[in-house]
Amino acid sequence: MTTAVAEHAQPAHEGLPPPPGGWRRLVYPGFLRAAWMTPLFFGIGCGIVVLCRWWGGWHPIWFGSVIVLVAALIAAPIGFLAGIGAFDYWVRYSIGEPTVPEDHSGHGAYSWRDYFRVNTDHKVIGMQYLVTTIVFFLIGGLLAMLVRAELAKPGMQFFDNQTYNGLFSVHASLMIFLFVIPAFAGLANFVVPLMLGAPDMAFPRLNALSYWLLPIAGIMMVSSFLVPGGAFASGWTGYAPLSVHQPLGTIFFNMGVQWAGASSIMTALNFLVTIITMRAPGMTFWRMPLLVWANFTTSLLVVIATPFIAGSQFFVMFDRIMHTHFFDVGGGGYPLGYQHIFWFYSHPAVYIMMLPGFGIASEVISTFSRKPIFGYRLMALSLMAILVLGFSVWAHHMFVSGMAPWLRVPMMITTLLIAIPTGIKVFSWLATMWEGKIHFRTPMLWAAGFVSMFVIGGLSGIYLGAVPIDIHVSDTYFVVAHIHYVLFGGSLFTIFAGIYYWFPKMTGRMYNETLGKLHFWLTFIGFNATFFPMHLIGTQGMPRRVSDYAPEFAHWNMFISVASFFLGASTIVFLYNMIISMRRGEPAPGNPWRALTLEWQVTSPPPIFNFDEIPQVVGSPYEYGVPGARHAVLNGDRAAEEVRVH
Amino acid sequence: MRRGSIVQLIVIGVLAGAIASAFALIPGWLPEPASREAGRIHFVFWFVTGICIFVFSIVAAVTAFAVWKFRAPPDDDSDGPPIHGNTALEIAWTAVPTLLVTAIAVVSAIVLAKDDAQGANPLRIEVTAQQFFWSYSYPGFGNKQSDVLRLPVNRSIVLRMTSKDVIHSFWVPEFSQKQDVVPGIHPTLHITPDRVGTYPVICTELCGLGHALMRSRVIVMEPAAFQKWASQKGGA
Repeated sequence: MTTAVAEHAQPAHEGLPPPPGGWRRLVYPGFLRAAWMTPLFFGIGCGIVVLCRWWGGWHPIWFGSVIVLVAALIAAPIGFLAGIGAFDYWVRYSIGEPTVPEDHSGHGAYSWRDYFRVNTDHKVIGMQYLVTTIVFFLIGGLLAMLVRAELAKPGMQFFDNQTYNGLFSVHASLMIFLFVIPAFAGLANFVVPLMLGAPDMAFPRLNALSYWLLPIAGIMMVSSFLVPGGAFASGWTGYAPLSVHQPLGTIFFNMGVQWAGASSIMTALNFLVTIITMRAPGMTFWRMPLLVWANFTTSLLVVIATPFIAGSQFFVMFDRIMHTHFFDVGGGGYPLGYQHIFWFYSHPAVYIMMLPGFGIASEVISTFSRKPIFGYRLMALSLMAILVLGFSVWAHHMFVSGMAPWLRVPMMITTLLIAIPTGIKVFSWLATMWEGKIHFRTPMLWAAGFVSMFVIGGLSGIYLGAVPIDIHVSDTYFVVAHIHYVLFGGSLFTIFAGIYYWFPKMTGRMYNETLGKLHFWLTFIGFNATFFPMHLIGTQGMPRRVSDYAPEFAHWNMFISVASFFLGASTIVFLYNMIISMRRGEPAPGNPWRALTLEWQVTSPPPIFNFDEIPQVVGSPYEYGVPGARHAVLNGDRAAEEVRVH
Repeated sequence: MRRGSIVQLIVIGVLAGAIASAFALIPGWLPEPASREAGRIHFVFWFVTGICIFVFSIVAAVTAFAVWKFRAPPDDDSDGPPIHGNTALEIAWTAVPTLLVTAIAVVSAIVLAKDDAQGANPLRIEVTAQQFFWSYSYPGFGNKQSDVLRLPVNRSIVLRMTSKDVIHSFWVPEFSQKQDVVPGIHPTLHITPDRVGTYPVICTELCGLGHALMRSRVIVMEPAAFQKWASQKGGA
């Protein structure tokens, strides 16, 4: 966040306008205004509830769970967003005040304070996303440590069942909705416009709004521990009818998913429009880096699938608050309906959490192997194949659910078919490394670690795809092992690869290589020691989501718990490295990895509007070793000298 | 590629396969089967394991070889050969996995069909789940009630299940058969126990605070002993 090499940047103006002094500060967009607008909107929400209930003749007029829902979980967050200024421009526009379409008054960061306001610069938003998601990653990780502490021995040690069920439910929800999905969105926010040769995202103000929905969703999920009855405790899957009859904390999950989902959808629309309309001249679809392809397919998945989880959570909430009967058998409802709707989102969500990682791996492996990506077009097409197939496999989560039995074999076939495009990607990465000049810098370690761990996760996925085996291992620790191999060994490893890879570009400083490698090896060892034995205890008969288990699994669980604490501790190395490198790391050159994609052809950190002149794209982004080939021409730019010309 | 490299690659592959096989064979991955369905499901498990070890060995060999042989010295600024693809190779690694997953799908579908088929003269039992216990009822024996599932060995059993409140799931690891127990519908599960003994019944779908303790037992008995028990009046 420092501006070590900022002298190359040509800011459009010197800093953002400072906030006014005195009482005017109370009406100026920022946390101070949010501090009074949030309670004001909370009050308005309470008023609406009371008025409606009085008018409808319902008793009691002051009804706790509806007040919490309308006032605390809907109105107050809107008040907060209005307070910090997420809507200011649109409100001015809608009431006929003069507006400047090319208003850059909220663009760019000149001091650390600019990261704590509604900022329209995609690079600032990317950093906001990453820091926020890492905070929730740490909270989610601590919850996992508590889960493992309880499971270290059979019997109950530290928590009661309600708290324990809350711990793993909130752990999973934070990791999925507040870490993996938005962390990829954050990396892509920073990188995609740069890779396209664009000055920003297509809708910068929408981009800012979609970031600010995220802390709301996260705080909502974490704060559910504080409400009477405890946190939501029916797992991140929240199966009805159990979730309908849980304590109040459940609506914190129902609504948290809405806020996080709205954020995802807005960001995805933004990426789609940006990728379709804002590519630099010459940047055809077949010249786009695979990271851009990956985010294009991911965004399609998000836009199509996310409304389904929103719907499923609204149904649960309506069953609870308004006494509808979507999932209530007594009223003619159908419990399996929930699972069909939920998994119609949540299976594509698996790819939402993986495809951006595929993109990162492609960039990193090609750059550090000094070779063109192997089978570029097939790599892009297999992303599209995963996108299409991803919508036809949801019921493989329901092989034992009691759904129509004939659905199982077709769903098994589509599920196993997904192994083919995924296999193509893995083989192509290996072929990219083959005969390359591989430099095992930290990002490459993470990417290679990702490929090997993802292979294990993919193979255990084959077991789960085969219906007879799934019948045996469904809802056991085998499934827990599988999801952690694909989401931890898969998604998280690529997120780390991406963070280390673009750290110099984002901060203008180099990270500490020794600490980066140490972080990788500690995590790699801790990860395998924690999650590999889970396959074994799962097939042997230990169910998931239990606070207590049969004594025969005691030894393995103790081993897993100790390994998981080791794994948790490895994160300290990462945090230490990030903090000291951001403050005191060596200044980074514009292109430390000698990469060809556009983001490396500008200074580190990039100029405030990315490119002083729009680049002209002339070739593929991966032409390593091709004499005379280049990806783009940047004229009149100091960084252009660093474009590799043979 | 030189012949020496191919030999090295094969050696690494065999080594990786041997390590993976040791992982597959040394710990007891699956409970000792106590039903015919479990025997068939275990066959699918080992069939898939064989294919996975094959794929893993290839990937591990290529990865290890690449990491070992293609590491560049830090001061080497040169690029690798500009290979953009290889159509034959790409067709091969699309076609071979297609064949493998087709084989898995066929084997799975056959086993599934066999496990779903009920044998002659099945014994029907009603299974009811509620927070947090199981109860069993024997319609063929005057709706005899029990909180332990007693089954005769080597006879086809049809469990017809339902739940009184939320979703539960019926699992006996030794039978390898599992079925979610859902309010409002009556899914069935077919089991043919073939080993006398006592095994745990485990709820595997999160069903609330008592989920971890929602356990019961299944006792597989000799047919004569079962007949004697079932004909008695009274529970358990």
